[in-house]
Amino acid sequence: MTSHSQPSVLWQRRSTRRYNPFLGFFSDYHLGLFVGLSLFYSLEVVLGNKTLKKMVSANVSGDLSSEMEVDAFRRLFPLRYHERFLLDSIRPDARPLGRARDTSLALGAVASADGSALAKIGCTTMLAAVKMEVMTPPKESPDEGSIAIEFYMPPICSPLVRPGRPAEEAPVVSKQLSDTILSSGMINLKELSLVSGKAAWMAYLDIYCLDADGSLFDAALLAAVAAFSHLRIPVVSLNEEGRVVVVSEENEEGKSEKEPVNKGKRKLTLSSLPFSLTCILHKNYILADPTAEEESIMETLVTVVLDSSGQLVSLYKPGGPVLAYASAVQDCIALTRQRVKELKSILNEAISDMEVD
Amino acid sequence: MAGKSAATPSTYSPSPAPKTKRPIFQDVDWVRPDGRGFHQCRPAFLKTGAVNAASGSAYAEFGNTKVIVSVFGPRESKKAMAYSGTGRLNCNVSYTTFAMPIRGQGSDHKGYSSMLHKALEGAIIVESFPKTTVDVFALVLESGGSDLPVVISCASLALADAGIMMYDLVASVSVSCLGKNLVIDPILEEESYQDGSLLITCMPSRNEVTQLTVNGEWSTPRVHEAMQICLEACSKLAKIIRSCLKETASAPKD
Repeated sequence: MTSHSQPSVLWQRRSTRRYNPFLGFFSDYHLGLFVGLSLFYSLEVVLGNKTLKKMVSANVSGDLSSEMEVDAFRRLFPLRYHERFLLDSIRPDARPLGRARDTSLALGAVASADGSALAKIGCTTMLAAVKMEVMTPPKESPDEGSIAIEFYMPPICSPLVRPGRPAEEAPVVSKQLSDTILSSGMINLKELSLVSGKAAWMAYLDIYCLDADGSLFDAALLAAVAAFSHLRIPVVSLNEEGRVVVVSEENEEGKSEKEPVNKGKRKLTLSSLPFSLTCILHKNYILADPTAEEESIMETLVTVVLDSSGQLVSLYKPGGPVLAYASAVQDCIALTRQRVKELKSILNEAISDMEVD
Repeated sequence: MAGKSAATPSTYSPSPAPKTKRPIFQDVDWVRPDGRGFHQCRPAFLKTGAVNAASGSAYAEFGNTKVIVSVFGPRESKKAMAYSGTGRLNCNVSYTTFAMPIRGQGSDHKGYSSMLHKALEGAIIVESFPKTTVDVFALVLESGGSDLPVVISCASLALADAGIMMYDLVASVSVSCLGKNLVIDPILEEESYQDGSLLITCMPSRNEVTQLTVNGEWSTPRVHEAMQICLEACSKLAKIIRSCLKETASAPKD
């Protein structure tokens, strides 16, 4: 057995993680029991005098006692911890308020699917794959195919999800994704037709969350769009029983009389790709691309979806304590407009990388 | 919405139906579909820290078999559980819908969760996390054959990454019997034509086997031969896992 240093396209970036042996331990216990009331107050006094910069540098210097204090403060008073950063227009991960995390995209991550992509926004990781199956189209639309979209949060992605108890967000994101993709007009369903009234493609798009760290919808949509860009439809022909069968290369030489049904239609023409950005509204601040921690503390989210030409596809604000005024919504849309440009170039780069290979 | 009708119509995969047994595997001399020797494993790629949200995690890629394992805990046991002085281990293996060549076939592997549990329980020092539970969750992203051994090896790396105490790293390798030949680390196609299979999970430094499963037709000398091949491969695989851990530990933090 040999070690292999070159993985396939799937795993290229190692997520950065500060290793703290206490972190995982404390998170599942009642911290209050450990810290005790006296320490609780002394912490507040000590931290009250510290400036923001000292808090950050203490985290980096590795001085265990002060690192523990900052960590404890972060867990006990998460909102105050974050607001102190916001005062200086910065976030705990050193991002300005309007900046999204580093984003990467790899096409063709799974060979068993007809099209697939792995999207990473910060630590949030999504794997999307399209598998093509054949169906008899319904009578109302004999020359249209169909798309079925499903979003999954398997137990590996977050400590909050356990087997047999599905995550609450999963069906919400699933519905949002299928509404967005189907209504954006990205895919012309007529292109999925094979034989009018007899056979059409059913494209199963399944998106798996591999690591949940906030802005799940954004990452899932990016992975979904990329998976469709990577999709290559198999060449098929009709056999004697009227079933649609893949024309494999070895068959092609022997039985050339069978004409492929969909010659030259291996790629879908995707028009107006949808891209999205989720923002948090908190007091007067707008935070783009929140992490899971930020989402859990500040609960008002606004998700804007624009297509590649800048047209608004959808706007989603599922309640929350902060009311969105027109100016805040416009700011969110402006941030999304910038983000769409970034995402478009990331997708184009990934597509050209794949074509070089 | 035009795309989704109320009742999803039944669909089928256009992939050709599997043919009858390929005659080539009956011969003494044939070339494996991926060009490997009979006793040669696929190149292994292993990496820790794949999932940031978990206490420890690992990604493994052996040929087309791609697996992620996350470890959570030690954390509070479920409320319904009775009191236990020692720690508990909870394992779950699932497949993505697109892992297999035909969509949705992954649900045939229900038994893998308990197999993973049995393979690992002998290696973990459960006394080191009393009253709590360690969860080991695996997701097979793509199935390329020998899925269970890859999941087990990857899980032991993820456990080490999470800092769970173990007697030794666990490595697992399987062998398929195809006609007159024994092939190690079989791919999906070879597994579908196999006459029998043997899987060994062991702790190489301690020379202890935690799990041994034998399926199909085997003669005693062949079982011995297959075990030898597997144990040798296991110790090589454990070295790779160990070097992967060392790499992570020596890399600068952050």
